[in-house]
Amino acid sequence: MADAGEAAPKRGSVVVPVESTPTLRATVTHLVESAADGEFSSIHFVVFATWRRDDPDTADREAAVDRLLERVSTWAEADLADADDVDVDDVEVVTAVVGDDEYLFGADDYVRELAAYADEHGAETVVLDPEYTPVGNTTLLQPLEFALSSTDLAVREAPVTRPTRRERLRKEATGIRFVAIFGLSLAFYLALGDPLYPFDLVSGVASATIVAITLSRISLDADPSLPRTPIRLLRGAVYVPVLLLEILKSNLVVARVILDPRLPIDPTLNRVRVIVGSGLPITTLANSITLTPGTLTVRARDGNLYVHSLIPWAREGLFDGSLERWTRFVFYGREAARLPTPRERDDVGIFQGPDATEEYPGARSDGGTREEGDPVDGSVADADEEVTPE
Amino acid sequence: MIDAIGPARLALIVAFSLLGLFFTFVSMTGVIRLPDVYSRAHTASQADTLGAGFTLAAVALAAGWQGVGFKSVLLVFFIFVTNPTAAHAIARAAFEAGIVPWTEGDERR
Repeated sequence: MADAGEAAPKRGSVVVPVESTPTLRATVTHLVESAADGEFSSIHFVVFATWRRDDPDTADREAAVDRLLERVSTWAEADLADADDVDVDDVEVVTAVVGDDEYLFGADDYVRELAAYADEHGAETVVLDPEYTPVGNTTLLQPLEFALSSTDLAVREAPVTRPTRRERLRKEATGIRFVAIFGLSLAFYLALGDPLYPFDLVSGVASATIVAITLSRISLDADPSLPRTPIRLLRGAVYVPVLLLEILKSNLVVARVILDPRLPIDPTLNRVRVIVGSGLPITTLANSITLTPGTLTVRARDGNLYVHSLIPWAREGLFDGSLERWTRFVFYGREAARLPTPRERDDVGIFQGPDATEEYPGARSDGGTREEGDPVDGSVADADEEVTPE
Repeated sequence: MIDAIGPARLALIVAFSLLGLFFTFVSMTGVIRLPDVYSRAHTASQADTLGAGFTLAAVALAAGWQGVGFKSVLLVFFIFVTNPTAAHAIARAAFEAGIVPWTEGDERR
């Protein structure tokens, strides 16, 4: 992988986030043609890392990304050689991996990384492959284009034709994801019905097929693979009783606070930077935190979880990070579960109340209605307001 | 179906039903007493998880390991996945709408 050189961006540079899509080849050609027409002097193809550098077992994914980038630069070079009205040395093609120093959770995070990269390399334009969704992350609800509109970068979509839907479906339909989803749906259907009754068998196969066709791309971010998936399921089975116990314990504490008028609540919004991957791991962790009474995940942003806590006890538990360690155990194994607590890592913040350590963050993605300088806590309310809610 | 339920199993069924009732009651009390949307989301979904969980556990015990019992175990699983997701959706919507969580000293809303 070439690093970005010191080429003076007189005609401007362009950043193109890529992943393996059916339209990637055409997108590359479009960019090289634009560059040949004198629009760009250097093209940066970047891939968002779905791992952190210090994660165990990421060699496969890194190798896959390296192969993708290598393919892209080969294509670009071939297109450059084909373009007759351009000097090959005149257009610089750069490939890079960005964001492997932390986990990226959503469009906000991708845009931040992209903007930082563009800034560093003097790029002012972003061209998007029309089929591009970052790292196959189907959990990304907010379109990247929308999030990009909050930056100074000029954004456009490469004008390349998408392949027909039918082709895409057929391509995915052969995948192992299809088989996995089909098998799971059929097993579930037959568990509810009667596996020996022919009508249930036929209707089960029909529904499982429909479910697999429509959901195999959405439900799974990555192919299930043989040693890894069963091991994760087993570790998940270990985690379930631990989580149940945790839920029971917290429920009793919170029930006491709710039922006893003398016990005050002290809710605050907090931030904790968690070290788990995007997609399923972060969902597992956020849901586990929400399931545990007293803590409620409000937002995943910038590698942080914003967690609302009802009582200080729950907040302290959150900052001790036992659920984070368990999630890492489930997804990455025992080795990965040994890490300092978020408090020790100094990865925590309290946004409200007397112990507040940070400014209250406004809503951002929708433009927000909060103004800078809104009161962040109850300091404007009457001081002798009752402390416990009735 | 309910042919021979021993006294120990019956006691467990009653205990689980009562626990389910208790946590549902806590959940209800919380929704009435707590001051804002975030803290209510805590109790509305979470205490209810155990409320429904224990009740379904009682159902599973009463029905035994077949048909209904198995389905209630699946239901518990379903609730444990969907409940936090719904709570998160509510909390996130509130946050995006710019609602600042209640803190000590604020008025109830």
